[in-house]
Amino acid sequence: MAEPFSIDRGEVLRYLGLRGQEPDSGTAALLDRAAELLLEIARPRTVWRQFLLDEDAQGLFLPQTGLRLPGRSIRRHLCGCRSCLMMAATLGEEADRLLLRTQLKNMALAAVMDACMSAAIEDVCDRLGSEMRKAGALTSRFSPGYGDLPLALQQDMIRLLDTPRRIGLTLTGSCMLVPQKSVTALVGVLPEGTVIPPGQNRCAGCLMRGRCLYQGGKEGN
Amino acid sequence: MDIREKLKTGFLFLDGAMGTMLQQAGLRPGERPEMMSLTHPEAVEGIHRAYIESGADVVYTNTFGANAHKLAGTGHSVAEVIAASVGCAKRAARGTGCAVALDIGPIGELLAPVGTLPPETAYALFQEQVQAGVQAGAELITIETMSDLYEAKLALLAAKENSSLPVFVTMTFEENGRTFTGCCPSAATLTLEGLGADAIGVNCSLGPEKLRPIAEEFCRWSSLPVILKANAGLPDPQTGEYTVTPRQFAEEAAACAAAGIRILGGCCGTSPEFIRALRERIAGVEPVVREKRIPCAACSAERTVAIDGVRVIGERINPTGKKRFKQALQQGDIDYILAQGLSQIEAGAEILDVNVGLPGIDEPAMMEQVVRRLQAVCEAPLQLDSSSPQALERGLRAYSGKPVVNSVNGDPKVLATILPLVKKYGAAVVGLTLDASGIPPTPEGRLAIARRILSAALAEGIRREDVYIDCLTLTVSVDAAEASRTLESVKLVKRELGLKTVLGVSNVSFGLPAREQLNAAFLTLAMGSGLDLPIINPNAAAMMGAVAAYRVLAGQDAGAARYIATYPQFAQAGQPVAAALPAAGQPADRQLAAAAGASASPQALEAAIMSGLEAESRRLAGLLLQETEPVALAEGCLIPALDRVGERFEKGELFLPQLLQSAQAAQAAFDAVRDKIAEGGGASAQKGTLVIATVKGDIHDIGKNIVRVILENYGFRVIDLGRDVAPERVVEAVLEQDVRLVGLSALMTTTLPSMEETIRQLHARAPGCKIFVGGAVLTASYAQKIGADYYAKDAKRSVDIAREVLCANEPAQQEGDNGPAAK
Repeated sequence: MAEPFSIDRGEVLRYLGLRGQEPDSGTAALLDRAAELLLEIARPRTVWRQFLLDEDAQGLFLPQTGLRLPGRSIRRHLCGCRSCLMMAATLGEEADRLLLRTQLKNMALAAVMDACMSAAIEDVCDRLGSEMRKAGALTSRFSPGYGDLPLALQQDMIRLLDTPRRIGLTLTGSCMLVPQKSVTALVGVLPEGTVIPPGQNRCAGCLMRGRCLYQGGKEGN
Repeated sequence: MDIREKLKTGFLFLDGAMGTMLQQAGLRPGERPEMMSLTHPEAVEGIHRAYIESGADVVYTNTFGANAHKLAGTGHSVAEVIAASVGCAKRAARGTGCAVALDIGPIGELLAPVGTLPPETAYALFQEQVQAGVQAGAELITIETMSDLYEAKLALLAAKENSSLPVFVTMTFEENGRTFTGCCPSAATLTLEGLGADAIGVNCSLGPEKLRPIAEEFCRWSSLPVILKANAGLPDPQTGEYTVTPRQFAEEAAACAAAGIRILGGCCGTSPEFIRALRERIAGVEPVVREKRIPCAACSAERTVAIDGVRVIGERINPTGKKRFKQALQQGDIDYILAQGLSQIEAGAEILDVNVGLPGIDEPAMMEQVVRRLQAVCEAPLQLDSSSPQALERGLRAYSGKPVVNSVNGDPKVLATILPLVKKYGAAVVGLTLDASGIPPTPEGRLAIARRILSAALAEGIRREDVYIDCLTLTVSVDAAEASRTLESVKLVKRELGLKTVLGVSNVSFGLPAREQLNAAFLTLAMGSGLDLPIINPNAAAMMGAVAAYRVLAGQDAGAARYIATYPQFAQAGQPVAAALPAAGQPADRQLAAAAGASASPQALEAAIMSGLEAESRRLAGLLLQETEPVALAEGCLIPALDRVGERFEKGELFLPQLLQSAQAAQAAFDAVRDKIAEGGGASAQKGTLVIATVKGDIHDIGKNIVRVILENYGFRVIDLGRDVAPERVVEAVLEQDVRLVGLSALMTTTLPSMEETIRQLHARAPGCKIFVGGAVLTASYAQKIGADYYAKDAKRSVDIAREVLCANEPAQQEGDNGPAAK
């Protein structure tokens, strides 16, 4: 079923490289138009499941499935968690087609729309976060490809969540998500009474840390 | 059991879930269920037996994901897994009369051009499954849980072309009545029935009650038996448990049976208990005999256009008499063709005619490519227009939905070649009322040919509703009686045969001035005579106005609602139309009104470009060109304006949307320049040619597309190879066109090795060619490391690089870490 979503204009402008500046009237008009089209056409969908988490000499794994979560970054991220949520969210193929169409007619609008789509999928994930919170207090999201968590883990996540059947989300042979504006992530369920460390945010484990255009915006989620 | 015989009357009961049952038998989440046929055959056989004992007439083999793609890494072949799975089912079914169906699910990857899986690969995967299933002794093929209509089509073609078994096809819909890829039930029905499925319907996603409206839609559009294989309701997101009980399920399914559905079973969350309850509940129910009156229609996967009134076919995708279109075909500039399609749809076309025939090009390959790319961006059904059977077949095979074939005529040779294609691919067909001896002068003669075409089509098994007749428009400047002959023919065909009619309208005015008036008048007369499908230029306001007015007058537009919505600018009743009609499809320019009237000076044009005012730039350029040489205007005003925009972008005073808006405004001015040059007979000066591509494995290409727009702005010819492009293809394009500069883009770290490989091959095979790279994860030092000559941090920088490499006297400005990477 399609999930509701909104588009944070401040985020969109930040993705477009404006850091706090007011957009000119042309850009503002493009933003209105892109957001209106996207809100009308995109049909975001989400799916998530909870899995127990365990650790042995080789590292973290999900005992119900035998799936291993390789690397140090994810271990650090899920430190202290006894279970985790696996989630996937997509803006849907409708949005991909809209962007494809827009690029043919108006590249300026398409560039703004692309940024709107990034903000929209972020919002869909944040809303899903609120829903998932019924499982307990949560860490932030951690996606394959961040830190040393291999991108190839997406194959297993897609299969475990049955995303092609549940939300129409698939992978290409080179591990790219299709539809393009999609997210897969792991979220730790913190033991009751845990205080979330204030410094934790989604940029902490990222490869692009220090040279990312978008850093310095919202912290954590 | 003879399934086809059994389908004619009565109910047919299918089994329930396999996956749910396998999990109860010990399958862990994420494991490949098909492996259980090899590791625990007795468990799989037991599940089949339980379903047969609960009353299933058909069991689906445990082969949903048994394609080479999903089995990769298991160490087992498709033939092995399918043989084992069919074996389990056959052992359970022995002596029971239950039929064993080879089950085929989706491949799990989206097809190109939206995804990257080539359709030929998908077909080969399905073919392998079908052949293995036939070999193992399956009695039926079931294709299920399809979301992409084109994938379902490929699987169905693979089944039909590699076996003679009956085939059932079911697709999976969301509650809004669409699949994940946007396919609607009417389109699925028209397409799959046309392709020769024996039964069609829905499975998975929801419970029977929620799926009923969708299954009913299938009944409305098809004469085939309809299948409903629903879930036990929706699973709880956290626990994965299903909530509907067997009793409820049977009750809801019984309501579906009352709506005319005759093939029932269960999907996720169901068990033998559900099938038993279902059978018991249906035991006393009489199967409903459905009325079989199928509407006449064409469709894409997303949109069905019923021909139940006048429907406009857009004629603009056709090179005849269009210099720019011919050039696009010769240069493989598919984007130009796509833009033509989109603008016609905006102007009100409901079906698009696609003609890409041009001497010197590979028409079959072009037809296939244009059909695929058009369908990725527009939802209107297509009419495939060609005289080449090869081009038609490639187009038909590539098409997702039910297209129209344009055309056949009364010549027996043509009928014998084309009609079998129309039948095989489930299309509708246009029959021209001419034959080897020409166009009959009398309406009766044209009717006779129409009759011949119809009977040949019926003999081929094509439905009567799928034959449209074109009585042919001839030029009135040659003989004024031609118009009335055509109109009489349309009336006659309508009255005698009751078929839908088509006419290419504009031909009537050939050779006369003010053609649009004649065309519009003729169109109105033709619609009054029974024309259903005018082939016209929808961007001509008078033509669309005639259609809109006719619909009101003929009672095809209740309350004139559509008419009123089409002309909101005349909100006050009685306001004259006059010249106030805008050229349809022309976007209103945001600030045109404010800027209008500014006197034409190079400064005003530059200001318009800087502010991104498209229409104003076009207007000013037009005025300036009356006294300035085109080349002088381009070099002296447009390029400097772009440079100034670029400088401000680099300084961070302007941002990407503004850069692109200025580029679009400049493009409008450049178009005026190019037209002027063409008027004077000169060739437009191009600065040089380069190839750009997003590398193999990467599908994120908006960055590359932005670079293309900016480079074209500066007058470079850009050969855009698209995304997910293999290194070999880049090299080929470079060698073929003798290109000296290549731009490569990659967004993800995982595709950087593919970029490196492309660079390696380019250096080895095209040593003189320079390479620049860009993309989110690249840096100047990394670009240097993988052997690129330049790193472009943004679109502006790629222009500097192109100038340096391709225009010897315009060196790139060197700056910091954006300089040539290899130096």
